Amino acid sequence: MAGTSTDARARAGVTFACGHCGASLEFVGVRTETCPYCASPNFVERPPGANQPHPELVVAFTGDAQVARHQLDRWLGSRTWFADARIKRARVEDLRGVYVPAYLYSAVAHTDYTASIGEHYTETETYETTDAEGKKKTETRSVTRTEYRPLAGHHVGYVTDVIVSASAGLANAELAAIEPYDFLALRRYSPAVVTGWIAEEFSRDPDDCRRASRNEAIDEVGLWLRRFMPGDSHSDLAWRTTVQWESLDPILVPVWVLAVRYRDDRSPLRVVINGQTGAIAGKVPLAWWKVTLAIIVAALVIAAVIFAISQHGGQPG
Amino acid sequence: MTTCTRCETALEDGDLRCAICALPVPAAARASDGKQIAQVLRCGDCGAAVAFSAAAQAPRCGFCGATMAIEQPVDPIEAAQLRLPFSVDRDTAEAALRGWLARRGWFAPRALSSEAVLESLTPLSWAAWLVNAEALVTWAADSDAGANRSAWAPHAGQVSLGFRNIVVPASRGLRAAEARLLIPYYELGHVVGVDRALGDGEVASTIESFDAQRSAARKYVQDAIEATAKVRVEPQIPGRRYRNVHVACLLERQTTDRIVLPAWVLAYRYRGNPYRAIVHGQRSEVVFGKSPIDWSKVGTLVAIALLIAALVALAIILR
Repeated sequence: MAGTSTDARARAGVTFACGHCGASLEFVGVRTETCPYCASPNFVERPPGANQPHPELVVAFTGDAQVARHQLDRWLGSRTWFADARIKRARVEDLRGVYVPAYLYSAVAHTDYTASIGEHYTETETYETTDAEGKKKTETRSVTRTEYRPLAGHHVGYVTDVIVSASAGLANAELAAIEPYDFLALRRYSPAVVTGWIAEEFSRDPDDCRRASRNEAIDEVGLWLRRFMPGDSHSDLAWRTTVQWESLDPILVPVWVLAVRYRDDRSPLRVVINGQTGAIAGKVPLAWWKVTLAIIVAALVIAAVIFAISQHGGQPG
Repeated sequence: MTTCTRCETALEDGDLRCAICALPVPAAARASDGKQIAQVLRCGDCGAAVAFSAAAQAPRCGFCGATMAIEQPVDPIEAAQLRLPFSVDRDTAEAALRGWLARRGWFAPRALSSEAVLESLTPLSWAAWLVNAEALVTWAADSDAGANRSAWAPHAGQVSLGFRNIVVPASRGLRAAEARLLIPYYELGHVVGVDRALGDGEVASTIESFDAQRSAARKYVQDAIEATAKVRVEPQIPGRRYRNVHVACLLERQTTDRIVLPAWVLAYRYRGNPYRAIVHGQRSEVVFGKSPIDWSKVGTLVAIALLIAALVALAIILR
């Protein structure tokens, strides 16, 4: 019986909940003692959540931890010298590959819009000027003006490839910072793809995710409309989008997470890397002793220069 | 045939999402051929637990290193279903090339037509998608209708259009620009099945395999249909002159056929340097390609232009 139980656990993975950031993560064939998102040791095993959405699709990792580490080093190399060294000292094993739950949204968007369209025209105007002898004279010049005309119309399109995070550990803004994913490499979900990796459970309410996706879709329609407007310029663009045929499909996307926790009362130092494209986002905190040292050195240099100039200026020529 | 529930586009084996509206295809719909898709969690060689290898893009056993095939996501190899036969034979294609070389203009070497050595003359049936679709097309444009102080006034509208036999290149052998030059001259009414036996005297050709993946084709198809839609909405725009035509299409009921189209690809050499030209496989008067330039003639022309400019400048200074 024990053997059967172990086998079932190996197949299903072990679920842990982070007491700090709230992420629920399933570990399939890997072991860890800290939360990969926030490096908290407050990480306890618990039964898998009930009524979990089943991921339909998955974007697979395209490189291992060494590749991610190389990308991180290159990124850190382009950061300032003032960056906190704790991030730079992070080891390869501190980088954890996580399949982050998200929803893939698409819909048909019908949009009614109004705008004020600017059409340029050229006019000849007269103006007074003063010549070299101080005489006033009238001259003409050509000026470009804009005539604004109202326009109302309709716009249609499929909004596709919108993803929103359904993770408790990775906020949507953090996921958006490392998008886009190349959905040409999408796979049908299979446990075989996530075996050996950490997969987080779906934590956010699908209705919340649908609303967030819809808002992203409407923002995208706004970008389309700005390119769609005729004329030489436009202003007062307003639109109302009706989305139809919405689809919201559970998906797993690959993310490398580097979390370094240095104080329990502070957010961890965290860098996230797109596990498919290598795009990196993170806020690297400054090492304040380096900043202070730099200010002191700069002040000393300036003082030395001023002193040298004053000494030199005091000598008779 | 299964169709997408959202846009009624025909779905094909291997589609994870609709090629037009990106609606995911339910797993059950995909397994229409009744094949069982295995979920591999243990190594088939040694029985150990396996982990997905990002490098191998497949589950790999950590003990014996064996990789296992898992359900491949997309893009089965595509093969042509239709072909358009050649109506330009080898001799006509060569004669078309010679005629084209003789008409290369003043900057071409005088001996180009006589000294060019034809190295190869290959009949190529190049790969393309043949797309049919319906679309609701919304448009916005400037036209002179209703113009006031400016010569232009904005207009917008929408129209339902059918798109028939839109040819979208899927070729590796031809560049996109070359394919665009050939496409308008094909008589698609003469299409036959790719397996049909060659008739007497019919040119046997190399049939190109599809290079671009179907999953990547969505953008090509969308771009091709939008380019066509821009032209098709012009009668809808009021007035006689227009500019800034923008279209947005909601495609529906798309069907795609794989076709190969005829072209003669000619490689020739002139004084040691290789050049390439294409002759249309149905219309021998459609020839284009690269040809050498006689730089001594270009130099002479530049020298004459400089001399004239110097004389004009001198005349201005002396006046």
